Amino acid sequence: MRNDLNDRRAATGESQADLAAAVGVTRQTINAIERERYDPSLELAFALADHFDCRVKDLFEPDG
Amino acid sequence: MSEHTASATTRPSARKRYKRIAYGLLGVGILALGIAIALNRFVLGVALYWAGGIGMGLVQRFSPVDLYDERDTTIEREAGNDTMTLFAYVFVLGAPGGLVLEESAVVTLPGEFYGAMWTLFAVFVAYGAFVFYHKYRL
Repeated sequence: MRNDLNDRRAATGESQADLAAAVGVTRQTINAIERERYDPSLELAFALADHFDCRVKDLFEPDG
Repeated sequence: MSEHTASATTRPSARKRYKRIAYGLLGVGILALGIAIALNRFVLGVALYWAGGIGMGLVQRFSPVDLYDERDTTIEREAGNDTMTLFAYVFVLGAPGGLVLEESAVVTLPGEFYGAMWTLFAVFVAYGAFVFYHKYRL
């Protein structure tokens, strides 16, 4: 799943660790999502969207 | 890198700290078991090993933070699937293959071979039962 988490995080000046702590996962999980190697659960996708004050479909886009 | 970022990434999180305590307790238990066996104190060794394992379980159960997140769970599930797939090949090819080789008098298989195949059979029966159980739950 493609996403622009890295850009949004950079825009807010947060580290991966900060974002991970905010949504309750490990820094490695945020890193894996940003590198598009791991697709988050719906629950985490909603938490991330909530954190960045946007919709899930603004953050994530299906491959292909 | 900002000062805030550096401190956030270098300071161990509560999750990491509790994980270290949990695995540390298990590690101490295993080490104690090894030392106790070397000293011929088997019962004491097993008691310390169990204490370490129970301590690990208690830390995992009662730590104020979740020690594992959803990616950890996914990693464990995929590793479990890969392990089952690997041993499915071992069982599906190994059991009949071994019997054919023995019947053809090519090799004489040791009793351990049959023990291993029956163990794998039991594992796959249990796996099938759990698949069935979860199929009706989800």
